[in-house]
Formats: sequence, C-alpha cells, structure tokens
Amino acid sequence: MAATAESVKQDMPPKGGYRKINFARVFPKPFASSRALVGTYMVCTGVGWYLYLLNDRQIDNYQIESRNAIIAISPLLDAEADREYLKQLRRNRDAEEKLMKNVKGWETGTLYGEPIYKTVDSNKLIEPGLNEYYVHAPPKTLLDRAYWHKYL
Amino acid sequence: MVTKSLELPTFEELTVEEVPISSPGLRAASNHFGKYCLEVNDEFMMCKIETDDPRKCINEGKAVTNCALEFFRKLKVNCYDEFQIYSNCIDKSSTRLDFEPCRKTQAVYDKCVFEKMGIERPEHGFFCKARVYTGNRPKPPPAEPQVFSDLPVGLKDFNEEERPPAKYGQRNWFIK
Repeated sequence: MAATAESVKQDMPPKGGYRKINFARVFPKPFASSRALVGTYMVCTGVGWYLYLLNDRQIDNYQIESRNAIIAISPLLDAEADREYLKQLRRNRDAEEKLMKNVKGWETGTLYGEPIYKTVDSNKLIEPGLNEYYVHAPPKTLLDRAYWHKYL
Repeated sequence: MVTKSLELPTFEELTVEEVPISSPGLRAASNHFGKYCLEVNDEFMMCKIETDDPRKCINEGKAVTNCALEFFRKLKVNCYDEFQIYSNCIDKSSTRLDFEPCRKTQAVYDKCVFEKMGIERPEHGFFCKARVYTGNRPKPPPAEPQVFSDLPVGLKDFNEEERPPAKYGQRNWFIK
C-alpha cells in the first residue's frame, strides 16, 4: 500500500498567501475630542463656582439678617439682664449677712475684715465669678448656667 | 461676694415693668423696634461700654425698656394680627427662627407698620454697620496712668552710708 504521488495532497498555504497578522495597536473610538473634553470641564467647573458663590452670598445674607435682629434687640435684653444681675447681687449680699450674723468678726464680702482686693476702690464693682454668684443657689442652677451648651 | 461698702441700687429702683414678649416676637419686631428706639438704645449701649458698670446705666436701661413697651403697645393697637401671624410663622417655620421662610407675612407686616406707625424697615444689615453716635453724652476722660512709688510698701529706704554693719558677717564687695 505504498502512497502514490497522486493520492497525497500536500497542505499548502492558500492562494495569495495567508492574511497578514494584525499587530497594530487599536485605539478606541474617542468619545469627544480632547479640546471638547477640556472645554466641557472648564465650563462645568466655572458654572459650579458661580453657583457656589451665589449660595455663599445668600447664606452670608441670612446670617447678616439674623445678627442684625440680635443686635437690634440686644439693648432691651441687656437692660433687663443688668437689672436682674444687680438685684441678684443684693440678694446674695443679704443672704450672706443673714447666714453669717452669728459669726463673730465676720464682715460681708471679706474674710474677717480682709478684703479680696486691697488696692481697688471699695465702691468699684468687680463682677463675681460663677461659683461665687451661685453660691446660695441649688447646685443645678450653676450647672445649668455653666453647661448650657450641653443641652442644645 | 460684694462688700457692704459697695453701693447697690435698691429693689424698688430696679423694679420696672418688663417687656413680656417671647423670642419669636422680639425677633419679628427687632428691626422696627431698633429703628423706633434708635437714640435711646444708642445712649444705653454707649453708657454700658463707656462706664463698664451696670449700676451707672440703670436710668438709660429703664428708658430702653420704657421705649420698648411704648413701641409694642403701639404695635398692638395698630398691627396686632399682622405681627402675630408673622411671629408665629418665624416661630414654626424653622428650628433657628429664620426669616427666610416668612417673606410673605413679613411683607404684610412691614406694610402695616409703615402705613400705620410710619416706621420703615431699615436697610439690610443696618444694625450690623458701624454708626456715628450723635447723642449728648460727654466723652469720658482718658484713664490716668498708674503711679507707683519707687519702693514696695513697708520697705525702708536708706542711703548706702547709713547701712548698718552686717549682723553675722559676709558683706564683701560682691555680696552686699
């Protein structure tokens, strides 16, 4: 069974040769040109900045309006608060006098006659600290005043 | 606490009729109140800043409260409903008593106050701007500089020649 030359068919390249191997780099189709992309970016950013500026100014105006109202009524609030403050100072002094009336040699507002400030005129009002101001009040009053921001 | 020699006003001097209005009401009326009582308020705040003593500004403070009462009584007579609606709107529209959600009621209130009381809403941020004080308060004298004596209190001043000899030795030229 020897194979004859006619019966054997050699596997040969197709006519005209194989097609070329594609090794060239293929770029994706661009969405838009680079100029368009950069331009769009700049326009969007610019519009965003502008809107931010408008919003910022609006918020500033709200805050100014709010502060405006607070400043306008602050004399009224201050006047009332000052009167109440002076009343409370007198109440505190009266309470101390009543509390220490049996202690020999005690003078109100001093330590047995020794004042807190020696060189200051005795008629100058030096505002007492919080602990001193609320000394005859229940502890919660002082805590409420000192830590009011924790209740917010 | 304060001593007995400190002059404090009595309770009778300090007790006046206060303004019984809540925060939203005060906030709603703030601009017109500030405009109506501008001179009195300026006088009080100037006194407070210049004297730095609440005892000396009681009369000015009473004038402020009096002016506020007068203003709110007028407001009650003239624009009660408008004011109530506006302050109610401020109270219930936001958590921070913002003015922004209440522009419509504000316009009605402003119109009423302008027509019946003749007070125009001041320009935006009027009270935030610096204003020149035009009242009659005399300018306080500048604080005098503090004068101290050369020696601390209780220290004897003597000349070099009068120095007594050292009691227990050691007074050399470098240790005196």
